[in-house]
Amino acid sequence: MNVPERSEAFDPREPELPNPLPRPAGEFEALEKAWEAPRGLSFITAVNNTYVGLWYVGTAFLFFILAGILSLIMRVQLAAPESDLVGHGLYNQLFTMHGTVMMFLFAVPAVEAASVYLLPNMQAARDLPFPRLSAYAYWAYFVGGLVFFCTIFFGLAPNGGWFMYPPLTSTKYSPADNADWWLLGIGFIEISAIAGAIEIIVGVMKTRAVGMSLDKMPVYSWAMLVFAVMIVIGFPAIILGTLLLEMERAFDWPFFIAERGGDPLLWQHLFWFFGHPEVYIIFLPATGMVSMIVPAMAQTPLIGYRLIVLALVATGFLSFGLWVHHMFATGLPKMSLSFFSAASTAVAVPSGIQVFAWIATIASGRMRLTTPSLFIIGFLFIFTLGGLTGVMVAMAPFDWQAHDSYFVVAHLHYVLIGGMVFPLFAALYYWVPVASKQALSERVGRWVFGLMFVGVNVTFLPMHITGLIGMPRRVYTYPVGMGWDALNLVSTLGAFTIAAGVALFIVDFARRFRIARDENAGNVWNAGTLEWLPNANYNTRSIPIVVSREPLWDQPNLSRDVQDGRYYLPGTATGGRETLVTSPFDARPQYVLQVPGPGWQPLLAAVFTAAFFLLLTVKMVLLSATCGVLAIICVIWWLWDTDPGPVRPPVDIGGGIVVPVYATGSMNHSWWAMIVLMVVAGMVFTCLIFSYLFLWLVNPAAWPPQGVALPDGSRPFVSGALYVVSAVLIAYASRMLRGEDRRRPRAVPVLIAMALPCVAGASAAELWAQWQTGLSPSAHAYGAAVYAIVSLQIFFVLTSLIMGIYTIARWLAGRLDSVRRTTFDNTMLFWFYTIGQGLVALAVVHGFPRLTGGV
Amino acid sequence: MGGRRTGQVLLMLAGFIAWAVQFTVIYAVTSTLCGREWAGATILGVGSVQAIILATTLAALAVAALGLLWSLQAHRSLGEAAAAPDRFMSQAGALIGGFSLVVILWQGIPAFILPACA
Repeated sequence: MNVPERSEAFDPREPELPNPLPRPAGEFEALEKAWEAPRGLSFITAVNNTYVGLWYVGTAFLFFILAGILSLIMRVQLAAPESDLVGHGLYNQLFTMHGTVMMFLFAVPAVEAASVYLLPNMQAARDLPFPRLSAYAYWAYFVGGLVFFCTIFFGLAPNGGWFMYPPLTSTKYSPADNADWWLLGIGFIEISAIAGAIEIIVGVMKTRAVGMSLDKMPVYSWAMLVFAVMIVIGFPAIILGTLLLEMERAFDWPFFIAERGGDPLLWQHLFWFFGHPEVYIIFLPATGMVSMIVPAMAQTPLIGYRLIVLALVATGFLSFGLWVHHMFATGLPKMSLSFFSAASTAVAVPSGIQVFAWIATIASGRMRLTTPSLFIIGFLFIFTLGGLTGVMVAMAPFDWQAHDSYFVVAHLHYVLIGGMVFPLFAALYYWVPVASKQALSERVGRWVFGLMFVGVNVTFLPMHITGLIGMPRRVYTYPVGMGWDALNLVSTLGAFTIAAGVALFIVDFARRFRIARDENAGNVWNAGTLEWLPNANYNTRSIPIVVSREPLWDQPNLSRDVQDGRYYLPGTATGGRETLVTSPFDARPQYVLQVPGPGWQPLLAAVFTAAFFLLLTVKMVLLSATCGVLAIICVIWWLWDTDPGPVRPPVDIGGGIVVPVYATGSMNHSWWAMIVLMVVAGMVFTCLIFSYLFLWLVNPAAWPPQGVALPDGSRPFVSGALYVVSAVLIAYASRMLRGEDRRRPRAVPVLIAMALPCVAGASAAELWAQWQTGLSPSAHAYGAAVYAIVSLQIFFVLTSLIMGIYTIARWLAGRLDSVRRTTFDNTMLFWFYTIGQGLVALAVVHGFPRLTGGV
Repeated sequence: MGGRRTGQVLLMLAGFIAWAVQFTVIYAVTSTLCGREWAGATILGVGSVQAIILATTLAALAVAALGLLWSLQAHRSLGEAAAAPDRFMSQAGALIGGFSLVVILWQGIPAFILPACA
């Protein structure tokens, strides 16, 4: 059931309050009841963003503290030469865990967490579109992250550096489980990050206040949109990299072993294709926060909105052209290096645009020197210095001198602390009044800022010199007389100054932060954006029309009218949780989304997913597999109640606008999520094909190697034909499932059931074709690459089979018909993707070696 | 999202998409030709690596320039009653087109300064 994108009844240029007063008796109480949090032990099954967002932020901050403590131990060790506080073995674990935890368990989750809390508030949505997915992502991160961190107490923590370069991390040089903890632990936490990114993309595009068209979207929403798209493009590379390295370690598939046709540089490409955008992935949300805070502090609209959006999008693109600048010292051709050098300097331009826009905004208004303002000034100073040294190391000749020295340590901390930590503290001080009954102390905040600002500069400024006079990074001690003693001591004093600032913050936070459910501290900064509307578990009582980027400044009485329920959807239309879905460009109401409520399913699914990966690390395969199956069962249990269908006729949300409570096709929010998921899958596959081609490039005389025969030329056509037949069957089933009469043709489950063996047979035939030739996955990188492609395809086929069986089950249970067909549509999209990927895989595996002269 | 909106998004991002394609092609071509020792060949008297980079850069510049011009044209043709997102996207398209021209040119310059495979 679709509705047109434009609804003639709504005109955002002439807003009239859509709902009259007084509101019907019981309307507000029903809304409150629908969004009530579970009580007692079930409290942890809450899924709405106001709860999950806070837990998420708190957990990310916990990891910041834990990783910070690790850094303090390292700084004590380095405070004096020839210190023996910690040995080299533990030191290796300390610096690996510090980097890994800060990047994967603090930085990315922290910015994702903040957006889980803030985005719905800022866009006046009741919640994000997939609250259970948010809860799943959070619990997977919480359980997995804590178990991962605890490895340091047992000497099992990874010790190969946060970028885990092979061959150091290959079985030969790292035979213990330490590296596996990183590969499996972090690998699956990245899946949690991707789940969050899908949620954010759909949330930004589909759940905004009415009238909040693209040109009126908060800059923070733009930043989070670019951030999430970058995760979708960049994270698959590291997921694939971790998969390949784990397969090498577990099954001896030599992707990175040079003696058998592999190449350690492949890891570096995969890691840094994720790793450099990662810096911007955590920087862009921070700039989004700054772009929200600066106008509020200066009490004037942001200058250069369009230029800032351009800068965000430009950074999103250009940051994917920088990864090799981490590999300048690997001996790549100079011209190749120059491409990355050029992009590395070009990406400074959009950052510069944003810095000048903020300065112009500050200059055009009256900046109040509050704690958030101080942290932003600190951010501008520290990040700009880090950016300048970034341009220096973007020059290959300079980088060759500074590579792997403390200069790089100084640079990256200036960029990351300046570019992310300071804006995050500004954000904490700025937005705490939204979530708490009282704001944090301004007086203490100044001290926190002062200690952290001085501490950061005292710690890291001397490191530029320490590095330039020769101290390499990652050494656990150094001899007397190198000239590094005093500089290291100063850095250690600085690190403890930062710690004092953070400790003071924690004390202030503990004293003053009190969770507010409906009585928050209010709009203490007189800000202009929607998160400062009165809010509660359901966020805003009614969903407003906005006509500018600062609606609270431009629309008098907005808060009161929203709170009185005079705008859209002031109650609950279906008796349950809902939010309003709006069109992605001009934010016109499209339909009422029935949002799932609390439940144990996402929590249990997350715990079992974490257990699956973590038990695999310690080679408890059977138990791990059991947990994997239980995780799938929990996900199916969770999904069973979703896709509720049109439970009631279209509803009047106010102002004469009548929208359905269910939609299918491209208007549906889960259709968007599935498209984003397919992009993720496509990126994993693309990275795998890149790996295949890369390994071909480094094996000029062996593709396939001597003595390896390709399968008969007819084999791929058999598999291909089976794939195509299965796709035709699914397409035919879709055709039969059309109509507004809620028909349930019996042929639909039969057609899906017929498609199942076709798709399974196609991938099995391909595996058999390769196996029959005697191709070994461990003899040479060629075999490893071929079997990796085949294995990935089998994984997608298995997923399609589960989805197909699940879709049949829904038909049998009477939960699928020609109107209530979102589940079928999602299965169909994924199915078509799997078929497309399978056909490309066949073309590459069978066609490429023949094209390039293979036998 | 209808076809018109998809077209608008593609037009808005045309310059950056052109840069992304240029970047991928020139890096892949340089790596492949140098890695396989095929870089010795010439095209119209110019080294194969440089020739391909030149052609790719010119093509990317053309796409970015078209993105810029079409966005400006689209912006001019919008009437007073045009929807705000349409105005926004055409302005953003023009900005992105202009910026991309500089970036694409900057990206291609090294090919004419440095040797292909040294």
